[in-house]
Amino acid sequence: MTLPLRAHRAHQTLQSDTDWSWLSQWRSQAWSTFADTPWPTRKTEDFKYTPLKSLTNTDWELPTGSAKGTGRGVEFENWPRTVLTLIDGRLTDHDELPEGVTVKLLSKASAEDRVRFEQRLEAGLADNKQLFSLVNQALLSEVVWIEIAANQQLEKPLHINQIISSGAQQRVIPVRVLVDVANSARATLVETFSSEADGPVFINPITELMLADNARLTHYHLLMEQGDVRHLGAVQAQLGAYANLNAFHMALGGVLKRKDITVYHRGSGAELNLNGVYLPRGKEHIDYHTCLEHEVPHCTSQEVFRGIIGDQAKAVFNGRIHIHKDAQKTLAQLSNKNLLTSHQAEVDTKPELEIYADDVKCAHGATISQLEQKSLFYFLARGISRPEAEVMLSFGFINELLEGLEDEPVRLLLRPVLANLFAKEDIWARHLL
Amino acid sequence: MSEHIEEYLKSEYSAGWVTDVESLTIPPGLNEDVVRLISAKKEEPEWMLEWRLKAFRSWLEMTEPQWAHVKYPKPDFQALSYYSSPKSMEDRPKSLDEVDPELLRTYEKLGIPVHEQEVLAGVAVDMVFDSVSVGTTFRAKLKEAGVIFCSISEAVHEYPELVKKYLGSVVPQKDNFYAALNSAVFSDGSFVYIPKGVRCPMELSTYFRINEAKTGQFERTLVIADEGSHVSYLEGCTAPMRDENQLHAAVVELVALDDAEIKYSTVQNWYPGDSEGKGGIFNFVTKRGLAHNRAKISWTQVETGSAVTWKYPSCILKGDDSIGEFYSVALTSNYQQADTGTKMIHLGKNTRSTIIAKGISAMKSENSYRGLVRMNPGAEGARNYTQCDSLLIGDQCGAHTFPYIESKNPTAVIEHEATTSKVSDDQLFLCQQRGIDAEKAVSMIVNGFCKEVFKELPMEFAVEAGKLLEVSLEGAVG
Amino acid sequence: MLKIDNLTAQVEDLTILNGLSLEVKPGEVHAIMGPNGAGKSTLGNVLAGRDGYTVTGGTVEFDGKNLFDLEAEERARAGIFLAFQYPVEIPGVSNMEFLKASVDAIRTARGEEPMSSMDFIKLARAKCKEVDLPQDFLKRGVNEGFSGGEKKRNELLQMMLLEPRLCILDETDSGLDIDALQVVAKGVNDLRSPDRGIIVVTHYQRLLDFIIPDYVHVLAKGRIVKSGDKSLALELEKHGYSWIDEEVA
Repeated sequence: MTLPLRAHRAHQTLQSDTDWSWLSQWRSQAWSTFADTPWPTRKTEDFKYTPLKSLTNTDWELPTGSAKGTGRGVEFENWPRTVLTLIDGRLTDHDELPEGVTVKLLSKASAEDRVRFEQRLEAGLADNKQLFSLVNQALLSEVVWIEIAANQQLEKPLHINQIISSGAQQRVIPVRVLVDVANSARATLVETFSSEADGPVFINPITELMLADNARLTHYHLLMEQGDVRHLGAVQAQLGAYANLNAFHMALGGVLKRKDITVYHRGSGAELNLNGVYLPRGKEHIDYHTCLEHEVPHCTSQEVFRGIIGDQAKAVFNGRIHIHKDAQKTLAQLSNKNLLTSHQAEVDTKPELEIYADDVKCAHGATISQLEQKSLFYFLARGISRPEAEVMLSFGFINELLEGLEDEPVRLLLRPVLANLFAKEDIWARHLL
Repeated sequence: MSEHIEEYLKSEYSAGWVTDVESLTIPPGLNEDVVRLISAKKEEPEWMLEWRLKAFRSWLEMTEPQWAHVKYPKPDFQALSYYSSPKSMEDRPKSLDEVDPELLRTYEKLGIPVHEQEVLAGVAVDMVFDSVSVGTTFRAKLKEAGVIFCSISEAVHEYPELVKKYLGSVVPQKDNFYAALNSAVFSDGSFVYIPKGVRCPMELSTYFRINEAKTGQFERTLVIADEGSHVSYLEGCTAPMRDENQLHAAVVELVALDDAEIKYSTVQNWYPGDSEGKGGIFNFVTKRGLAHNRAKISWTQVETGSAVTWKYPSCILKGDDSIGEFYSVALTSNYQQADTGTKMIHLGKNTRSTIIAKGISAMKSENSYRGLVRMNPGAEGARNYTQCDSLLIGDQCGAHTFPYIESKNPTAVIEHEATTSKVSDDQLFLCQQRGIDAEKAVSMIVNGFCKEVFKELPMEFAVEAGKLLEVSLEGAVG
Repeated sequence: MLKIDNLTAQVEDLTILNGLSLEVKPGEVHAIMGPNGAGKSTLGNVLAGRDGYTVTGGTVEFDGKNLFDLEAEERARAGIFLAFQYPVEIPGVSNMEFLKASVDAIRTARGEEPMSSMDFIKLARAKCKEVDLPQDFLKRGVNEGFSGGEKKRNELLQMMLLEPRLCILDETDSGLDIDALQVVAKGVNDLRSPDRGIIVVTHYQRLLDFIIPDYVHVLAKGRIVKSGDKSLALELEKHGYSWIDEEVA
């Protein structure tokens, strides 16, 4: 069967290489659903503004052999972490795990673990209408399953350092990370993605966060890969009663990035803070689709996404808030602001409300504009040159979200990256560094 | 408290009676011969028939749109009749005096001024009954000012050059499934031309009435405001209560040439179906205006009727400094479904648009705002402001917002905001505690919610719209 | 150093300044008073080079150069400082970053070395204390969440750091209580020097109790209709602006 996304050989190679019949079946089920799903066109609502042509002219292969490169990935200064390094979707190294944290790998599952994996994956949140969740399942070769035991308060953050190794081979990298935070446990999870590749890469990661009652998780999901990278993946989260998820997403360019973030409020009193920034330049394309599923009463969501789109780049934002029939007393708010800085750039945003309960407070707002003239003049009137004023104001627009981050080291990592991103010449960023 | 509101909502549709006139209705079904028959009945010139046939052939290739947030049984296009006219109209009455008084009584009963000496003398009316225009008032007076106001059928004969030039220029035949169907089988509707520099001396209005069973109404309206002219136009619509769904697929095209202004207001009160969701009009309408340099097009709509609404009055802001406005109140109750909003396409420099949309959903209804704001690369310095508010009454209904916002110009500014709220028990209690009964309180709250839109309506209609909402909400509180 | 001759200017096709002439020499303090809508704020904005203000006639020379040849940032670097009536809030950019960028730009223009970060922080902290702003102020966003008084003191702080040749204070007294007013007035008086000119634009005479002007001008209908010394301000206080209207008529 010929599909626009050419990964069938990768799927078959995997299938011939396993004695785990459940897994093999699970994968082929996804493959056949995927094969039956029409390939998205401009008329497909979910991909209306995001063409997938950069995925279609390559025969995608799973990575083979041992990974090459520095294996460093993203590093934070002065921030003791428990680092798990994944190169091309394989766990290559990890620090000693703190008490109360267990990590299991699909590729090394014992007979006993296999049964648990089967149950966990089948009960998972992955949406099998989501095209790239299906691809992930059809090509699934590794799952990193992290469990944080009840009442554990992790002192150090867990850092999943995902690295795409160097080399010119055209690779598809499917990987799934499951993080289960048990009752009243508290943790910080940092996920970073970086690339050393020279050839075309298609990374297809899914992160699933299960927060049990009273669990608290601070989550950073930072897509720092640039260059010839396509990143199409999802983050799915489920919140139990009084659970609290504080999430920050960031995407720098790459050929194409698409992230579907879905949060299911399934226990009363759950709280979500979901923030994100996207910064495409050049001919890059970034697409965030967020969906907040309020299924039960008395939950809150605060969502803020901001983007700066320059050069010939394009950004897409779709923010859906869905209040189910019984989700009374929900508070949900979404703000999406965009700065468009070039005549060749484009931004398409669609905040959506779908509401089936009357006693709720929901609102969304979206803006697209350039830098405010009033602010720009304030800078000019103090002698600051126009390009420097523009860099500082652009930075400030994003920095408003960085200032809200709980962890200073993340801010320190991102500050120079952002400052330099906006400044075509270093000198314009000098007062930000 | 909410059960009181529901009680309040269970009101009677007051325009639901049938006029007893003999009608000539062509047999159900749709094919090229039907298109030819409609054209022949109107004694249309060859070019008009060709235009229809071209649209019909395109329609055959098209499929019904699926994207709207509405569910309904797909109409059987072969079971509908595409032309129905009161028999008395076959004799082509020359003036209103010759029109069957029973027909005119229909409009009188609906409160429409059919005699020129009546109180609302500031309004000229075109009355469309099923597929034909019954008559148009004040034609002579308007003619003095150079204003043409007649049925589109007459315009095809009397002003073929204008019709040829502008028909389909804003909504092309193939624009969408229902526009194509309309282009093939449209029966009557109004035609307006305001000459250069003329300010139309009175309000123009068309009143649409579907009477006959198992028919569809496919009206076509074309309004052309020549350079520097000004016109305010209103339309109203009603239909009898029937158990089956009836289709209304209209196309309205507005052309505002340089410096012209068109204000188009609609009070739509099609039969919405009964409290079980049975019957009612399917209202699938394409309305669009094209604004040239410094022109202004303003849509105001108050929607209380229809079982299913699918309607997006839009503006193409082609000329520099042109302005588009959309003010809307959409109220749904019982099992009504509305998917309505607007498109503002900014092409010219310094174009401006404003969207104020108020959705009120009650009982088991679904009310969606769907909008598009697009800034094309040439829309230097353009601005849009959008405010969508939803009011929910009861916990069985749905209120949705689907705004598409696209920009390709960094100097354009787009601001969009949406909120939802409910008529809260606290608000009701406060009113009651101050001696205002709950029914009045709901009506006050709803009217307050819609204030920004009502103030855009011409005065006579603002009063009517307020009353209409009150009637539609009647019995909700006790 | 500033010579305005028969200046006319428009905002959105509306003529606001209509033949305004004024000369300010080094060391002088000029007060410009006038009723609302007289064009007081427009004057400051036109001199500082804000977009949206169109000069339709007349000339302005600053230190012998045609002011209108300079962009807004070039005017600031040449030493023109406008203290805004309503300073804009810029969340996300800290005061420290903003002030350092500004001071560096202006020092560079004067041919001076940029200050080291350490020196700058020390200086900024000291000035903060002088204008009675809390220390954490430097870390906060520019004017973000400031009260009216704090915003005005921030303007004064910038003026002290930048040491401009010509200060234009646009209704700096509006929204200030008496204590804040005295702080601001003291700051301005400290800046009085033989080589610096100051223009105080105000609606009320109150500020002039603390900053004693050398000249008082009345601006009405876009031009200066009466000039005098500080006693003119007192007269205005007593009789109001309608008296001027009558006189002009």
